[in-house]
Amino acid sequence: MEEYRGLFVVESRENNDTIARALLTLEGGEDREIVDEIFRAAHTIKGASASMGFMRLERLCHSMEDVFDLIRNGHLRANASLTNLLLACTDQIEAVLDAVEAGRGDEEGTIEELVSALEVWVDETPSEAAVEMPASEDVPTLEDDALISAEGSRYQVLVTLAPASSMKEVRAMIALSNLADIGRIIATHPCRDEIENGKFDRTFEVVIESEAGADALRTAASGTDIQEVVVGPWTGAPETGKADSAVPKVEHHEKSREVKNIRVDIHLLDQMMNLVEDLVINRGRLKQIAQKHQIKELDEALNMVGRSVSDLQNLMMHIRMIPLNHIFNRFPRVVRDVSQHDNKEVEFIIEGGETELDRSVMDGLNEPLLHLIRNAVDHGIELPAERKAAGKSEKGMLRLSAQRDRDNVLIRIEDDGAGIDYDKVRSKAVLRGLSTEEDVKALSEDDLIDILFNPGFSTADAITDISGRGVGLDVVRSAIESLKGSINVSSTQGKGTCFELVLPPTMAIVEVMMVRINGKRCAIPINNVVEVAMIKRDAIHRVGNNQVILLRDEVMPLFTLDDMFGDFNRGDVLVVLQNGHKKCGIVSDVVEGQQEVVVKPLSSLIGICPGVSGVTIPGDGEVVPVLDVNTMF
Amino acid sequence: MGRILVVDDTLFMRTLLKNILFSGGHMIVGEAENGDDAIAKYQELNPDLVTMDIVMPKKNGIDALKGIRTIDPNAKVIMCTAVGQEQMVKLAVKSGARGYIVKPFQAPKVLEEVKNVLGT
Repeated sequence: MEEYRGLFVVESRENNDTIARALLTLEGGEDREIVDEIFRAAHTIKGASASMGFMRLERLCHSMEDVFDLIRNGHLRANASLTNLLLACTDQIEAVLDAVEAGRGDEEGTIEELVSALEVWVDETPSEAAVEMPASEDVPTLEDDALISAEGSRYQVLVTLAPASSMKEVRAMIALSNLADIGRIIATHPCRDEIENGKFDRTFEVVIESEAGADALRTAASGTDIQEVVVGPWTGAPETGKADSAVPKVEHHEKSREVKNIRVDIHLLDQMMNLVEDLVINRGRLKQIAQKHQIKELDEALNMVGRSVSDLQNLMMHIRMIPLNHIFNRFPRVVRDVSQHDNKEVEFIIEGGETELDRSVMDGLNEPLLHLIRNAVDHGIELPAERKAAGKSEKGMLRLSAQRDRDNVLIRIEDDGAGIDYDKVRSKAVLRGLSTEEDVKALSEDDLIDILFNPGFSTADAITDISGRGVGLDVVRSAIESLKGSINVSSTQGKGTCFELVLPPTMAIVEVMMVRINGKRCAIPINNVVEVAMIKRDAIHRVGNNQVILLRDEVMPLFTLDDMFGDFNRGDVLVVLQNGHKKCGIVSDVVEGQQEVVVKPLSSLIGICPGVSGVTIPGDGEVVPVLDVNTMF
Repeated sequence: MGRILVVDDTLFMRTLLKNILFSGGHMIVGEAENGDDAIAKYQELNPDLVTMDIVMPKKNGIDALKGIRTIDPNAKVIMCTAVGQEQMVKLAVKSGARGYIVKPFQAPKVLEEVKNVLGT
């Protein structure tokens, strides 16, 4: 059965997610279809668990099914406390599935407690409810396997060994022992001693009682040197004659489901991606060689290769993309739990969950989003009474939305809560010594929002167990920046707050602008480049120690990047960069062009290098630093 | 593809077996020369599968098998045996061995057995 483990985990997880999601919908109001969906999902997990031999999991699902049945028949209502219990059950199922995925069994966890808690609900409901079964058309169709397994039926297993088997009796013993692992062997023919001493032709017969199903028995008995295994229902007296012909061959309904999805280890994908990246680099090198030596045929052939490599690259990127729903779907539960904890009412809206992101970006996004969502409910949205007093509806609104914005993915978390209390931020900033009494008055709202991102800064008066533990927005920001994204905040006091995350859909391949600064090459992510202009010397001014440049009535800091590229940066090309709402200019000699490159992270030997997010190797083989624009502001 | 611990007291047999397993795409995570060593390595490496010679100095393959099965009741152990060792192999199977391969090793047979045992 081991080979089905992965499939079992994947499918059961999907079903479990269905249950959890549907439970939340159900809490909002009765819906026959939803209940049916939950019932089906629980039933499927139950059947699969039994087939896999996870009997504790099966028992839990069975009890859940009992409760869902009562809900379906209208004898029980899914109120908050029942929903809590059922959600706890789905958590437990998830934990068990994690264990199963890791190769363990279903021994862990508090299944028994949950089962008895569920039984209380069933027992306290009028008894006729449990007896009264819905009309047959309402019963989910049992799959063949499940039907058999539910009865723990007896099977007749005929095992035939290959003619050339060495030590056939040992093969037979292994088959018997594998069968005994998933069922109770009632009888064998010839008897066990004779089998163990090789006193049988090539076929022996086993009568076994098992809940694992025919397929599982067939798999268990199969193995090296086993030519054929025939599993049929036990029909009575053991066959004494030639078993082969006597056994009715059971029509086995092979469910021919076309395999449309396969599971691939993410590390394998990463390796493939690395190879594609190398291919991209080497294609560029070959291309330059062909041009240098003016070999026309090679150039043509390389164009063809180039096309395939680009397709391959695109395909790889596509394969790595997964819809944001993958993580968004977990958040309704978070919002529910936090709002229940805080006695708040929140309407949670998710939009654009189908937007796709690279897996590596997605992995790093879960924690920051979780934090922002908890924050929004915990700190943002007010208590119903406060909202009413402020003339708002008692129910707060929290919207999580995602959309593609040119080359980026935009994720917004908006609430209609109290907004950022700027005066409170001011007083806290003074309290924490981040600013002085006088200075703080001059700070703009943007500056104050910046203060919010200081390590450990929180305006919450009380530390709740939901948020406010000092693991603050600074962690969120650094997490987003490590994904090469940025975070912006806008807030209106009394109206609400909006966090906007701008993320690249992928981290590996980036479109960059190649520039030369002081004769040295440098790559700048194109997403950050706003425009390129000629520098007019008289537009450069000095403000304090810093240089600024005036460009069409807009003043922005000007960087010569002397410490990175050496002194005497006298270039006259201005590259305007943007990060969030802020802009700055850098001085460069010349813009060489725009191209897609593979950004390789710096090795740990080099360590963190401020200003550089990685290196890239364009076609000519030169190593070029990629500017980390986030650190410039 | 599995992570395999190869137990045999001769370097030759280990090398032979390693090459066969390697050709089948498996990974050899460790080797042991005797039963005691095998149990220690099993605990340390937690391989997917063990190929276990029967006759070895210090602790023989059957005792090592029993030792490993006490650490991990689900351990997958394949016995390496030769014609004439039927009784020993039967004993091993009763002690929880999942399969056996017969010397002289034939690569396809070995790989088939490994695949079958890893698959169950």
